[in-house]
Amino acid sequence: MAEAHQESSGSGDFDLSQFYQIFFEEAGENLDLMEQMLLNMDLETADDEELNGIFRCAHSVKGGAATFGFTDVAELTHQMESLLDKLRRHELQPNAMMVDVLLESADISRSLLARHQAGEAGEPPSSADLVRRISELASGATPAVSTPVPAPASAPVAAPAPAVVVAAAETPTVKGERQLEIRMGPLERLDQVDPVKDLFRDIAGLGEIVDLPSDQPNFRVFKVGTSSSNEDLLDLFAFHVAREHVVIRDLGEEADSTPASVTWADDPPPDAPLAPAPGFGFFDGAPGAPGAAKTVASAAAAEPRGTAKAGGKAAAAPLAQPEAATIRVAINKVDQLINLVGELVITQAMLAQNSRALDPAMNQQLLAGLADLDRNTRDLQESVMSIRMIPMSIVFSRFPRMLRDLASKLGKKVDFVTQGEATELDKGLVEKITDPLTHLVRNSCDHGIEMPEDRLAKGKPETGTITLSAAHQGGSIVIEVRDDGRGLNREKILSKARERGLDVSDQMSDADVWQLIFAPGFSTADVVTDVSGRGVGMDVVKKNIAALNGTVEIDSAEGYGMRVSVRLPLTLAIMDGMSVGVGDEVYILPLSSVVESFQVKPDAVSTVGQGSQLVKVRDEYMPVIELEKVFQVPRFDSEKSSDIMVVVEAEGSRVALLVDELLGQQQVVVKNLETNYRKVPNVSGATILGDGKVALILDTSALVRRSRH
Amino acid sequence: MPLILAVDDSPSMRKMVSFTLTGAGYQVVEAVDGQDAFEKAQAQLFDLVLTDQNMPRLDGLGLTRKLREHPQYKTKPILMLTTESSDLMKQAGRAAGATGWLVKPFDPARLLDVIQKVIK
Repeated sequence: MAEAHQESSGSGDFDLSQFYQIFFEEAGENLDLMEQMLLNMDLETADDEELNGIFRCAHSVKGGAATFGFTDVAELTHQMESLLDKLRRHELQPNAMMVDVLLESADISRSLLARHQAGEAGEPPSSADLVRRISELASGATPAVSTPVPAPASAPVAAPAPAVVVAAAETPTVKGERQLEIRMGPLERLDQVDPVKDLFRDIAGLGEIVDLPSDQPNFRVFKVGTSSSNEDLLDLFAFHVAREHVVIRDLGEEADSTPASVTWADDPPPDAPLAPAPGFGFFDGAPGAPGAAKTVASAAAAEPRGTAKAGGKAAAAPLAQPEAATIRVAINKVDQLINLVGELVITQAMLAQNSRALDPAMNQQLLAGLADLDRNTRDLQESVMSIRMIPMSIVFSRFPRMLRDLASKLGKKVDFVTQGEATELDKGLVEKITDPLTHLVRNSCDHGIEMPEDRLAKGKPETGTITLSAAHQGGSIVIEVRDDGRGLNREKILSKARERGLDVSDQMSDADVWQLIFAPGFSTADVVTDVSGRGVGMDVVKKNIAALNGTVEIDSAEGYGMRVSVRLPLTLAIMDGMSVGVGDEVYILPLSSVVESFQVKPDAVSTVGQGSQLVKVRDEYMPVIELEKVFQVPRFDSEKSSDIMVVVEAEGSRVALLVDELLGQQQVVVKNLETNYRKVPNVSGATILGDGKVALILDTSALVRRSRH
Repeated sequence: MPLILAVDDSPSMRKMVSFTLTGAGYQVVEAVDGQDAFEKAQAQLFDLVLTDQNMPRLDGLGLTRKLREHPQYKTKPILMLTTESSDLMKQAGRAAGATGWLVKPFDPARLLDVIQKVIK
C-alpha cells in the first residue's frame, strides 16, 4: 500500500504530501464525529438526517484517503460507506452489530491513518477481516438490488435522454466458489491494476487471482476463483479501474461474456474525443460541455440580457477570499508567548510600583499612559492564557464509547450523562487528568453499577447512570464521577484493611474509611476482572491527581451509589493575588480564595483547647491561623502585632489568617517553587514582586486542612 | 484569468483543488457547502463551478439545480467532483443540469485536463 501512495503523490508535478497534515486532522475529526453520532443514534428511530450525517463522515474520509493515496484507509472507509449508504437509503435496518463493526472500523481507520502519519512505520493493523465483515453485513440483506430505490431512480425520467440499459441483471450472490475471467481495459498503464491483485492477497476469503495472457496491448486479463458477487468485486476494483472498464465473465457458464457494469445508451464510447480518459465525462448537450457549442449558443441567445448583465457584474464584483477559521500552532510557541507575557506583567508591576512615588499633578500624562499599559497588559494576558484553555468536552467525549464497550462486555446497562462540558481547563492539565478520570469511570462501571437483574431486584431502574461533571469553584475546577450503583461497603473495606495490616478501627469516620481505598494495592473487588480491580488503581489515581496539586474526595452511600470528586487548581501561570505583609515578609494569597478582611479586636479571638484559636465573625466561629507562627517570621519590631484577619475559603471551609497589613492587589506570575527549590509546606509557589523581591504564594487549601487538625 | 468556484466540505480537498488550480493560473474562490457556494455565486460571476456532491445544508445536485435556475449560470460549466461514480449519480447529475462529472480520487493533472476542456 505504501508504494501505491508514493506513486500517486509523485504523479505529475504536484506534491500532494503538503496536504497530508490537513487531511489527517480532518479525517480524525470526521471519525470522531462519526463515532459520536453512531453512539447517539437510536437504532429504532434513526432519522435520515442522522444517517446522512454519519454517511457523510465516512464518505469524506474515503474521498480524501483515496485522493491522497492512502489506499488501505480508502478501502476500509469505502466499505463503511457502502454499508452506511444502504442504511441511509433504508435498504437495511441499522442494528447493534453494524454499529459495533462501524465503530471498530473507525478505530482501525484511525490507526491506519496514524501509521501513515508516522511515515509508514510499523506493521499496519489488519483491516481485511473488518472489510469482510462489513461487506457481509452490507450484502447479507440486499434484496433491494432487484428493486431499484425509488427516489434516485425516478430522476432519469426527467432527463432529456432517459435510457437505462441494465445489461444482465445483477448477478445473484453465489454461495459456492465460481471461476471468473475478468478483463480490465482499456488501461492507461498496465500496472495501474496491480493493486487489484493485492486485494486478493490482503482480503482473507476473497479468493485467488492469476494473470491470464491478454489479447490486446492495453488490457489485462485475470482468472479469479471467488465466492464474492460480481457487484462486490466491482466495488472493490472501483478504486483502481473504472467500473465501465471491467468485464466479468463466469467461466463456469458457457454463456457469452456478461458486461457486469451498467451502461448508458447515450454515454459516449470510451474512445470518443469527449471522454478520452476514465473517471470523468460530460453530458451530451449539457450547458458548458465542450463540443456543445450549439447548445450553448442557443441557450445564450435565449438569455441575452442575463449574460450581458452577468459580464458587467463579474467585472465589478470584489474578489472574496476564502477565510480560515482556525490555525494550528506548535504548543511551545504558545508557551513562549505565555512566558513573555509573564515577564511583561512583572515589568508592568514594577513600573506601577515605582510610579506611585511620582507627583500625580506633575506626571499626569505618564501616569495615564501607565494606567493604559496596566489595562492592556491585563487584556493581553487574558487573551494569551485563553489560548491554552480547552473545554473539558475534549476529555468527556472519549467516555461514551469506552463505557459502551465496557458495559456490553460486562453485560450491564449504563447511561452516561455529562455536565459542564464547556468548562475550560489548561491543556496540560487536561492531558494529565484524562487517565485518572478514565480509571474512575471504569471503576464506576465495573464495581459500582450492578448487573441489570440485581438492580431490578433492589427496586432500582435496570439501567444504571454514570455522571461526569465539571465546574469551576473558586480558583479550582471540580470534576465529579457519580454513579447510582452499589456504593462502598464499609465493613468490607475495614476487613480488607485489617487483612493488609493497616491501622484501622471501627470508630473511624466514613470519610476516613473511604480514603483507605487509596492505599497502595487496595482492591475490594470480589472478582478481579480484566477491566479493573487488579490492585493498581486508586492509589495511582490519587498520586497522579496529587501531582497536579489536586485532591480526591469520596462520598458514598451503600446501595445508592458513590461520588468521587477531583479538585484541581486552575494552575494558571499568572493569577490575581492579594499581597499581605507579616513582619518584613510579603505573602501572596490567591484573590479567588479571599472572602473578606477586617481589623480584629483582641477580645474577638478566643483560645480553645490545645491552644487553637477561634474568631467569631457574625455569629460564626472560624479557626484562626497566625501566619507569623506558621512561617516562623522573625519579628524585629516587638511593638507591632498582627491585627488584620483575612478570611480565605478553600475546599468548602473557611479560615481566618492573621496578618500585619494588607498591601494590595496585583497580578503575579506564578513560578514553580518545587522545580526551582523544593516543596515547601503551605506554599503553592513563588513570585517576583515589582521591586524585585521574592514572595511566597500561600496554598490556602493546605492551610484549611491544617486548621482541621 | 478564469474564475473558478471550488465547493467541497472537506478542507483538505478544497486546499488541494484550490492549490492545483491556482498553480495553473486560475483564480479560485472556495465554498464550504452548496449553500455557501450559492451565496458566493450570486455575489460574483464564476466561469466554472466545481462542486462535490455530498455536503451538508445543500448538496452538489441541489446547488447545480439552483444555479441553473439563475439566468447568469444557465450556460456556465458546472462539474460534479464526486466519489459517487455510480451511474445513478451521473444520471441525477445530468438531470440537475451538470456539465459533466469527475470521479474522485483524481490526480491534479486530470483535474486540470478536464477543466481546460470546459473553459475556453
